[in-house]
Amino acid sequence: MEFVSPEGLRLDGRRPMEMRQIRGEIGAVAKADGSAFFEMGNTKVIAAVYGPREVENRSQQISDQALVRCEYTMANFSTGDRVRKPKGDRRSTEISLVIRQTMEACILTHLMPRSQIDIFVQVLQADGGTRSACINAATLALADAGIPMRDLVTSCSAGYLNSTPLLDLNYVEDSAGGPDVTVGILPKLDKVTLLQMDAKLPMDIFENVMQLAIEGCKAIANYIRELLLENTKQLEYRRGP
Amino acid sequence: MEDNKPASFIDQLVVPGDVVLDLSKMGNQTIKLGGGLHQDCDAITVTKAGRLRFSKPNKYWVESSQKRYVPCVEDTVLGIVVDSKADNFLVDIKGPAMAFLPVLAFEGGTRRNIPKFEAGTLLYVRVVKANTGMNPELSCTDAHLTCPVLEALGKKLSFEIAVGLNGRVWVNASSPSTVILVANAIMNSESLSVVQQKIMVDKLLQRIQ
Repeated sequence: MEFVSPEGLRLDGRRPMEMRQIRGEIGAVAKADGSAFFEMGNTKVIAAVYGPREVENRSQQISDQALVRCEYTMANFSTGDRVRKPKGDRRSTEISLVIRQTMEACILTHLMPRSQIDIFVQVLQADGGTRSACINAATLALADAGIPMRDLVTSCSAGYLNSTPLLDLNYVEDSAGGPDVTVGILPKLDKVTLLQMDAKLPMDIFENVMQLAIEGCKAIANYIRELLLENTKQLEYRRGP
Repeated sequence: MEDNKPASFIDQLVVPGDVVLDLSKMGNQTIKLGGGLHQDCDAITVTKAGRLRFSKPNKYWVESSQKRYVPCVEDTVLGIVVDSKADNFLVDIKGPAMAFLPVLAFEGGTRRNIPKFEAGTLLYVRVVKANTGMNPELSCTDAHLTCPVLEALGKKLSFEIAVGLNGRVWVNASSPSTVILVANAIMNSESLSVVQQKIMVDKLLQRIQ
């Protein structure tokens, strides 16, 4: 199947280095301490953060830092066929672990010892790149909750089909069986905090694909930064003089 | 002097990760870092989204808003009893940890007249101890507040009120309409100036008279 046409257009009309349209909204869940909604093309996810609060299970309490928990679920209606097991299956457990490790690396957990921070991300509509969208939504939700972080975390995926590096794969491109590289970075510190790949790639091509994904992450970081600044301005205005 | 562009971040909106001060370029000064800032070798980075503030002579902090309460000594808050133990009550004050309220920390409290609070009781308390990593300690007390909205309401209506610094407010009055009016007056006054608040309260009071 042809994923990049001879004119250089992908299946959805994008250029190889073009990302899908992104949109974010802060404060989507009123009851949560921090929440956000994030869209990357047709992939839509919602994140809710609770904490820092009392640890539920005393035995899991850590004496010198906060306990970070993360749960990734997919809504029943998020994919074409109704999802039979929204959580507890291997993919969800793996992604929960990946998101938890990524966010834990950037939260200043030593400032909130003996407490617990819960991050819940749910995929409302899945069209490839769900774990990246979840990490971006979780970053916004944590910033909304006022939880101290070293830096923002942004994530984007890239692949390699028809001998072309492609940025931000959608579901069809992801299912093609080619490599899928997911990268998560701390933009200001310029550090990589998440790097995953399935399938195989020669080293030199891998470098190109990873660099492309990092460029995507930086673009998302600019957008998320603008969103947070706008949200802070709105909150200040509502607080009054 | 701070950063390559002098004072460029003070009074500006900042986002986690922004580097606002470079200590290597600042010579031999002592500066104080308040909330929302973190030191990473020579760079001072922002950890919470908000506005960077500076107060003379040398204090920097980030003014941010969040829903969760950070316990601070001498704050008066509204807490909900979660559990009662032998020596103290466990109270939820919307902070990182449950707070302890000693059973004897009441006016005229002795071992013979220990109050019995069920889970779910709302209490108006003062924070006595608040250290990171430890459960905060509380005590029962009174407080005196001045607030234009409450004063204007108090001239025409009679009601009881307890205001917590952790975002909870308790109102009681003889009739439900008074309770609702007071609650609405407080919620409406969030972004109004003092003059606008007085006008708003007058309008609400006119409706019931």
